[in-house]
Amino acid sequence: MRILPRVAASVAVCALLVTAGSAADVIKIGVQAPITGKYANEGQSIDNGVRLVIDQLNAKGGLLGKQLEVVSCDDEGKAQKAAICARKLVNEGVLAVIGSYTSGATEAAQTTYFRNKTLQTSDGTSGSLTKQKYWTFFRNSFRNSDQAAFTATYLVKEKGYKNIVVISDYSGYSVDLADSAAKSIKSEGGNVIYQGKIKSGTQNFTAVLTKIKSMNPDAIYFAGYYTDGGLIRAQQQQLGIKADFIGGDANDNPDFVKLAGKSAEGTILVNFPTAEFLPYDAAKIFIKDYTAKYGKAPSSVWALMNVDGLNAILHAAKETKSLDTKTISNYLHTLRDFPGITGPVSFREDGERINTKFNIYEIQANGKYKIINK
Amino acid sequence: MNKTSMISLGFLVVMGVFPFFADSAWLAVGITFLVFSVVAFSQDIILGRAGAFHMGHAAFFGLGAYTTAILNTQYGWPILATWAPAVIIPVAVALITTAPIIHLRGDYLLVTTIGINIIFLQVLENNLFGITGGPNGIFGIDVVTVFGFELFDQIYMYYMAFILLGITLFIMRTLDGSKFGRAMFYINKDDVAAQSMGIDIRYYKLYAFAIGAGLAGAAGSMFVVQYSAVSPEAFDVMQSIMFFTIVLVGGSASLPGVLLGTFVMFVLPEIFREFETARYLVFGLAMILTMILRPRGIWPVKFGNIPAFLKKGKK
Amino acid sequence: MDIFLQQIVNGLTIGSLYALVALGYTMVYGVMKLINFAHGDLVALSAFAGLTIYTSIFADGGTSIVAVITVFMFTAAVIAVVGVLLERLAYRPLRTAPRLSAVVSALGAGLVIQNAIMLIWGPNMKIFPSHLFPSDIYHFGGIVITFTQLMILIFSSVLMIALYLFINKTKMGTAIRAVAIDQDAAKLMGINVNKIIMIIFIIGSGLGAVAGLFIGIYYRGITFDMGWMYGLNAFVAAIIGGIGNIPGAMFGGLILGLFNALISGYISSAWAETFTFMLLIVVLIFRPTGILGEKVAEKV
Repeated sequence: MRILPRVAASVAVCALLVTAGSAADVIKIGVQAPITGKYANEGQSIDNGVRLVIDQLNAKGGLLGKQLEVVSCDDEGKAQKAAICARKLVNEGVLAVIGSYTSGATEAAQTTYFRNKTLQTSDGTSGSLTKQKYWTFFRNSFRNSDQAAFTATYLVKEKGYKNIVVISDYSGYSVDLADSAAKSIKSEGGNVIYQGKIKSGTQNFTAVLTKIKSMNPDAIYFAGYYTDGGLIRAQQQQLGIKADFIGGDANDNPDFVKLAGKSAEGTILVNFPTAEFLPYDAAKIFIKDYTAKYGKAPSSVWALMNVDGLNAILHAAKETKSLDTKTISNYLHTLRDFPGITGPVSFREDGERINTKFNIYEIQANGKYKIINK
Repeated sequence: MNKTSMISLGFLVVMGVFPFFADSAWLAVGITFLVFSVVAFSQDIILGRAGAFHMGHAAFFGLGAYTTAILNTQYGWPILATWAPAVIIPVAVALITTAPIIHLRGDYLLVTTIGINIIFLQVLENNLFGITGGPNGIFGIDVVTVFGFELFDQIYMYYMAFILLGITLFIMRTLDGSKFGRAMFYINKDDVAAQSMGIDIRYYKLYAFAIGAGLAGAAGSMFVVQYSAVSPEAFDVMQSIMFFTIVLVGGSASLPGVLLGTFVMFVLPEIFREFETARYLVFGLAMILTMILRPRGIWPVKFGNIPAFLKKGKK
Repeated sequence: MDIFLQQIVNGLTIGSLYALVALGYTMVYGVMKLINFAHGDLVALSAFAGLTIYTSIFADGGTSIVAVITVFMFTAAVIAVVGVLLERLAYRPLRTAPRLSAVVSALGAGLVIQNAIMLIWGPNMKIFPSHLFPSDIYHFGGIVITFTQLMILIFSSVLMIALYLFINKTKMGTAIRAVAIDQDAAKLMGINVNKIIMIIFIIGSGLGAVAGLFIGIYYRGITFDMGWMYGLNAFVAAIIGGIGNIPGAMFGGLILGLFNALISGYISSAWAETFTFMLLIVVLIFRPTGILGEKVAEKV
C-alpha cells in the first residue's frame, strides 16, 4: 500500500505539467500528419511547412494581435491513430487542423472535427471526403475522379493503349482512384483487362506480376503509393513485362526513383505540378525559405497544398477579424482566386477546391522529371 | 473482506471520483485506462488464470469494436442495442476458433492464437463482404443515445467504462470463488494432476476463452464509441503482445499487478507524449529487466500453495 | 505452364530466405525451448547494418565481388555478436525462470532492437543501392531468373548443406544435438552447455544476417519494422517443418515460400497470411510436432 501515495504524487505532478502549458492566450493551429511511419517524409514536410508559415506570421506580429502556436499530432497514416489525434487536438482547443496526408486518416478524423466545430484542411483526394458536406472541411488538393478522367484520356486517346491493367492497394484513396480510373478508361473506350489489389508493404509483388505477365498488357496503371510503386516497377522489369508503367499522384516522390533504380527510366507519373515546376512567385519564395530553414526542399507538392489550405484559413480569419470557425468557413466557401503557392485557391460550397490542372511526367535516365503533356 | 477486495474497492472509489478533478484531456486518459484495464483483465482470465498461452486477444477486442461499428453505421442500430451482439459475437468466434486448437501445448497455442489475430486483421483489411471498410476502417460512429438524449459529453463515456470495469471486477471475484476458479487453480499448478483428478481441461480453458472474449468485446464496443472511428491497426498483433505483456509484467492473476501493467503500458505513453518515439525502446528494456528481476511479475500473487478460498474452509 | 514455373521460382527464392531465418528459430528452440521473438528483428538489423557498412567502406559506390563478400562477412560478424549479447543479457538470466518470463524477455528484446533501428536509422524506408549485384537476367524457356535470385538460391543451399553436415558429422555438432536432447545429461558428459548455446546463437544470427542482406539486395526497400513479418513467417515455417529439427526448418521454409507464391498467384496475395496460418493449423492438427518433427512421448 506504500506505493499509493507515490502514485498519487506523480499523477499530481503530471497534471501540473499538462495544465501549465495551456494558460497563455494564443491561437492554436493543429497539424495532424504521418510524422513517423511509412509516409514520414510527407508528414514531416507538412509539419515543417506549417511551422514555417506560423513562425513567419508570428515574426510579423501574429494574427489579430495574437501569437500563434502549432500543436502537432502524429497519426502515422493510420485511421485509428487519426481518430485519437482528432480527440487530442480538439481537447487542445485548436482553431484549425492541417492534414492529414492520407485520405483514410483524414476521413477518420473528420467527424470529430465537425462535431467540435474545428476547421480542417487536407490534401486527401478520395471522393468521399466531401461527401458529407461538413462545413468544417476544405480540400486543398483535387478529387481522384478528376485525376482519373485526365489519366484515362491520356492512356486511351493519346497513347492508344488497348489492354490496360489497373492495380491499387487496399487503402481508401487507392481503391477510389483505381475504381475511378477503370470507369473512366472504359468510358473512353479503353479495355481494362485486369483490376487487382496488392497489399501495401509486402515487398514481394512477383506473384501478382507473374499473373499479369500472362495477360500481355500494354500498360500498367498503379493507383497506390510510391513505397510500393517503385518496387512494382522494378519487379515488373525483372520479370520482363514489357508494358508501360503509369503511376498515380502518390507515386510522385523522390523515393520512387530510388526504389525502382534503373527501372525508373521511362516511368510515367500523373500529378498536379510538382513543386519545382510551379510557375508562381509565391512558390519560389516559399520553397527558398523552406530550404533555408530545414536544409532540404519539401518532399513533394502535398505539403505545399496543405500550406495553401492553412494560408487560406489565416487569410479568412484576418479578413473577417474573427476566430469563430463558422464565420471563417462561410468566408472560405466564397473565396475566389486567393493567390496560393500551388496556384489560385477557390473553394466550392462543399469544401472542394476548384480549378486544378495536372501534368504528365516521364522519368529520365538521370531520375529527373520531364513534362510531356501539351 | 480480503485484501484483493479491498484493493478493488479502493481502486473503484478513486476512479469513481476522478472525473471531478479532471479536465477533458484527463478524462480521455481516464477512459483509455478503464477500457484497457477491462481488456487486460479479460486477457488475465485466459492467460493468468487458465494458463492458456494466448497472444491474439486484440482479435476479440476488435471483434467487439467492429460489431458495434458495423451494426451502427451500416444497419443503423443504436449503440445501446449493439452491446449484446458485441459480447455474443466475440464469445461465439472465440469458441469456434479455439475449440480445434485448445489442446495444443504452450508455444504451439501461442503461435496459432497469433494466427487468429492475423486472420482477423486480414478479414478487416480485405473488406470481407464489404462491411469492414478495409484499411480505412469505419468512421462516424454515433454516440450513445438514451431516450433521444445524446450522451455526447466525455463524462458519460467515462462512467459507462467505469461501470464496465466494475462488472469485470465483479465477474473476476465471482469466478475466483467458483468451481471454475478452483479448477483453474489446479490446472495452472499441474495440469496433468488436474486431469487425472477428473478436471476437464479442455472445457475449462474454452470457458476461460469465452469469458475473456466476451469482456474484451464489451471493452471494444466502448473503445469504438469513444473515438467514433475504428480501423484494423488498432487490433494488430502488437496490441495483442501488449495485452499479453501487461499480464505477465504486472503479475499473472494479480489484480493490482494487471492494473499497474495497464497503467504503465497504456496510460503513461498518453501522458508523456514527447517520449513517444523512444517509448517502445523503453518498454522493451523494461520488459527484459522486469522479467530478470521479478520473473513472476512486478506485483505477483502471493499465495502459498493453498489459495485463499480454500483456507477459509469454503466448500 | 511457364507462369506456374515462374511462380515456383519466385516461391523458392522467398522460401529459401524463410528457411535461413527459420534455422535461427529452430536451433534456439531446439536447445532452449524458447521462441526467440527477437530473431526477426535481428534480420532487419542486419539489412540496416549491411547498408551502413557498405556505404561507409565503399563510399564511392563502386562494387566488386570483394566489396560484396566484405559486406556479408562484416555484417554476419556484427549480427552474430549482437545475437550472443542478446542471449547473455536477455535470455541467460532467465534460463531457470518460468517459460513465459523468457518469452516476455524475448518480446522485449525484439522491441528494443526494432526501435533502436528506428532511432538510429530513422523511421523512413532506407533503400539499398541497385548496383550491389549485377542486374543480369537469365531466361530459361519462358521463365526469368535474376542474378540476385540465383545468388539467393545458390548461397542459401550451400549454407544449409554446410550446416547440416556440421550438425551431423562433426564433434561440435554432436554436442549440439546432445544438449538439445538433454541439457543436464550433456553437462554431466562434460559438454560446456553455455558454450554450445553461444555457438547456436552465432550460427543462427549469422544465417539471419545473410537472409537480411539478401532481403535488402533483392527488395531494395528496408524498413525498421520489417523483421516482424519475416520472423513470423519463418517461425511458422519452422513449426510446420517440426521445430527443433534442422532439415525441418529448411523444408518448412521452402514449403511455406512455395505455398505463399502459389496462393498469391492463383488466389490472392491479400489472403496469403490467412492461408499460411490455416496451413499451420491443419499441419498441427494432423502432426502436432510438425511434418518432420519426431513424436515425443509426453513427459509427466
